[in-house]
Amino acid sequence: MTQFIIRRLLLALPTLIGASFLVFWSIRLVPGDPALALAGELATPEYIAQVREKLGLDQPILIQYANYIGNVLQGDMGRSVRSGIPVLEEIQIRLPRTLLLASISLIVSSVFGIAIGVTSATKPNSWFDGGSMIFALLGVSMPIFWLGLMLMIFFSVLLPQWFGLPGPVLPPTGSGTWQHLVMPVIALAANSMALQARMTRACMLEVLQQDYIRTARAKGQQERLVIYRHGLRNALLPIVTVLGLQFGTLLGGAVLTETVFAWPGIGRLLVDAIAFRDYPIVQGAVLVIATGFVLTNLFVDILYAYLDPRIRYA
Amino acid sequence: MKQRTFALLIVTVLLASFLVMGPAAAQSDTLTIASGTDIENLNIHIVTSSPSFSVLEHIYEPLFSMSPEGELEPLLAESIEATSDTTYRITLKEGISFTDGTPLNAEAVKANLDWVLDEANGAPFRFLLVVNGEPAEVAVVDEYTLEITTAAPFAPLPAHLSHGALGIISPALLEQGADAMASNAVGTGPYVLESWSRAEEVVLKRNPDYWGEAPAIETLVFKVVQEDGARIVEIEAGTVDVAVRVPPAEIPRLEANPNIDVVVTPGLRTIYVFFNVNNEPFDDVRVRQAVNYAVDTQAIVDNLFEGAALVSTAPFAPPIFGYAEQQPYERDVERARQLLAEAGVEEGTTVVLYHPTGRYVQDALVADAIRAQLAEVGLNVELRTLEWTQYVPHVRRPMEEGNDVQFAMLGWSTPTMDADYALFALFHSSEVPPGFNGSFYSNPEVDRLLEEARSTLDPEARKAAYSEAISIIWEEAPWLFLYSEIQVTAIRNNVSGFIVHPDESLIATFAEKN
Repeated sequence: MTQFIIRRLLLALPTLIGASFLVFWSIRLVPGDPALALAGELATPEYIAQVREKLGLDQPILIQYANYIGNVLQGDMGRSVRSGIPVLEEIQIRLPRTLLLASISLIVSSVFGIAIGVTSATKPNSWFDGGSMIFALLGVSMPIFWLGLMLMIFFSVLLPQWFGLPGPVLPPTGSGTWQHLVMPVIALAANSMALQARMTRACMLEVLQQDYIRTARAKGQQERLVIYRHGLRNALLPIVTVLGLQFGTLLGGAVLTETVFAWPGIGRLLVDAIAFRDYPIVQGAVLVIATGFVLTNLFVDILYAYLDPRIRYA
Repeated sequence: MKQRTFALLIVTVLLASFLVMGPAAAQSDTLTIASGTDIENLNIHIVTSSPSFSVLEHIYEPLFSMSPEGELEPLLAESIEATSDTTYRITLKEGISFTDGTPLNAEAVKANLDWVLDEANGAPFRFLLVVNGEPAEVAVVDEYTLEITTAAPFAPLPAHLSHGALGIISPALLEQGADAMASNAVGTGPYVLESWSRAEEVVLKRNPDYWGEAPAIETLVFKVVQEDGARIVEIEAGTVDVAVRVPPAEIPRLEANPNIDVVVTPGLRTIYVFFNVNNEPFDDVRVRQAVNYAVDTQAIVDNLFEGAALVSTAPFAPPIFGYAEQQPYERDVERARQLLAEAGVEEGTTVVLYHPTGRYVQDALVADAIRAQLAEVGLNVELRTLEWTQYVPHVRRPMEEGNDVQFAMLGWSTPTMDADYALFALFHSSEVPPGFNGSFYSNPEVDRLLEEARSTLDPEARKAAYSEAISIIWEEAPWLFLYSEIQVTAIRNNVSGFIVHPDESLIATFAEKN
């Protein structure tokens, strides 16, 4: 197992180098000159040339890339073109916020998603099943953006109005306390919770048809044990795969939630930076998100072995 | 059973949120402003965005200030006088200190202006102190007196000295270099920096030793709320006292709220379409006038901006010094058709209009409205757009580089609030691309008037020269004159004295809250 982990980690290196080069190269393909964006529309051509030189943009792309990787390996991810603040510092501030939001959302969505999925599967075609699947369909199709604003209006404007409260029930935007987390987590979790509920239901329905479930029941085991130990555990493999992917997506894809709720995470950092052609920030943020994906995938692979003893990594 | 537990859990969570209330409506000694974007950094000589200036102008003060009405008032300076055509002598107020205890004197001011003038520092507003390509020279006369000498007579200099970017930083901080200036702030202003949580908020505290009248509000919070809808919720919920950049569509909704005042302030940015007067068909003044008659600017303002823009009555916005109101080209389809026929432009002639997308409010929609209205007078407009950083160099190429642009949409903001900035770069014949005169407009009389207004120190004589230049420009129509932007701000009605400046900065120094 240790060998497997080491091998996977080593394999992650070329993946990350590949990802970072792709980003490096592709953002330079996008039309638009960061020197111009930085110098402003009032700049003279001489000043723009000066800025370009200062940023190293006048050099061939491979040399730019080699310089960049050399610096990253020494812990220097460059400085934001726009604010002059070191990229690493910026990421250190944002990453924990995104991790917090993404992990709590993942926990909330999987606890509720799996619970709803299992309940639906054990009572197929009941009112609960029908209701929760309609709910799940809504969750999958509802734009996060819209849901976020509706939550905000409900908790911060309407509820206090109806009950004559002195202030909002939940602060509309910002971060810092657990109250700030509630709405972004609901908005972010709604979508993946719906997905997991549907996924769990489908997998469970299939597993519950298996012979060993009948055997377990025939042995006279408690229904709860049958469902959770024999059923859910065997249905978990595809669910875990989806979970892993979801976490990766949550890391980089919380952009909308972060924007609506003014949550200072890494997704928002990335989007702002793209709009401003802030190359160092874009590169740094993508590198971090790619690393997140690679690590999550590794973790999922390890989890497979635990969940299904037949899977062995030699 | 399980369903009951689930329902119970939800009710508990809801109840808990009721009990442990979020931050109640802010206290009376704290004013919270929902701003659209974070500040870039804390170095006032380097930042360029209005949210940055809004925050930093509470910490740093320039020598003069420009009132919202366009009056120049002394701030750190006591007085200014011209000792020759090219030299201004400035006397500073005495007894002012930076919040680190360093005294404000002529040396400190010189150190700041020299820092901005040093090209290596890359100060974007260096041009404020540059005349005809030559940097101004700053000399210390005595403890509280200094002289600024320019290469040529330059009347707008006092106005330029009122720009936020020339706010005076403590020389002790200046000496520590750009990185320190970007992450710390020490000035003479009514507030001091308490904290800056990047992408979240900047908190300022009242400066207890402020030299001027102490502000009423103890704490200012500039909270970053990027999303328009979220800012509206914040102001409705009362979690912020001021929300900037209210989208036009939300104005009626907020106006209906008895706790909120919607404040409308003219802006300094004018949106226009320039004609390249070198290229057909706009080399003929009749065609340019015809386009001005054909486009219904009022309809654009009413329909695309819900009235939250101002139809242009000069090539720049009304709050700017030197403004002289002209009669707008009212929509007249017949007249436009007639002028086009006189100029020999055939029905169905195709012209290409360049426009940015997403750079200015509703820009692409405005371009499309122009296309539709010009179709009615027989001009077939083809719209072309480019990504912003490509756009400007493309539409402002020198003729030698094959400039085939016919007309193109742009915006121009005049942060100095002086007509020199609004007119010289855009209409003087020496400023053709790579300068900013994308029209390649050239009229010796306009050149002469602009030069005269720049070098005459008498404000009345300057106004007269600008008025004459503007009326010539208006008649010769090197632009399709469109509109200038308006800022819409929502303020809780228990706040008074809060100022939204035409230059987009927000001034809380005189605000009170009850």
